[in-house]
Amino acid sequence: MKKYWRCHVCNDIHYGVKPPEICPTCLKKNAYVEVASHEAQAIMSLTTTTMDKNDFVAAIEQFAEKSEFQVNPDKEKIAPLFEGMFNSEANYGLKYCPCRMIEKDLENDIKLICPCNFLIHETYQDKDKGECWCGLFIKRSYNE
Amino acid sequence: MSKLIMFHGRECPHCKKMMPLVDRMIKEENVEIEKLEVWHNEENADLMRSHRDIIKAKCGGQLRVPTFMNTETQDLFCGEVEYEKLVEWALKK
Repeated sequence: MKKYWRCHVCNDIHYGVKPPEICPTCLKKNAYVEVASHEAQAIMSLTTTTMDKNDFVAAIEQFAEKSEFQVNPDKEKIAPLFEGMFNSEANYGLKYCPCRMIEKDLENDIKLICPCNFLIHETYQDKDKGECWCGLFIKRSYNE
Repeated sequence: MSKLIMFHGRECPHCKKMMPLVDRMIKEENVEIEKLEVWHNEENADLMRSHRDIIKAKCGGQLRVPTFMNTETQDLFCGEVEYEKLVEWALKK
């Protein structure tokens, strides 16, 4: 089961089965201690961030930068996807894939947050022209 | 309600691409098909979710849009297809 972990040096929060061996922020080794979810959330609430469409597009580009996939260069095709994700965030709190439907079961629905784990999907895996279900990400080799 | 349903999402590019083909089929084949938007209509979303088991079984374990579903025979598919394949599905008894 995933838990919350807090770096006792710099208060970084990690959510996962195990804590990182080295804190990615302060670089101290074996610095994480398990905490209750309300403690982790209290610490995370100290920093509030917002993300508009431009920020999100930049984050997505950065995410794909060093990967085997890239953001689909067909701007006309992907523009409604961003619109859909922001509508979904406004209506349902998270940026869900506009090409699938949530089941109102958070444990399942978090698999639909963009970017999803599309590398395992049949629309991407083992295909020369692989892409994620909505077409936001395509295999880099296909486009080159 | 028609026995044929197209579940679609307003911001889904696959749905956008299939829409003119569906309209052409309605005109040329005189087919009745209900177009139900699911991301901005909770009632339609609930209807789609009520068919979750059969949709997920044929759509990679997910509720994907567009989903084309025959509610009588439960014959369905998801995603973009050629016009001929769409018509073949719609006219199948």
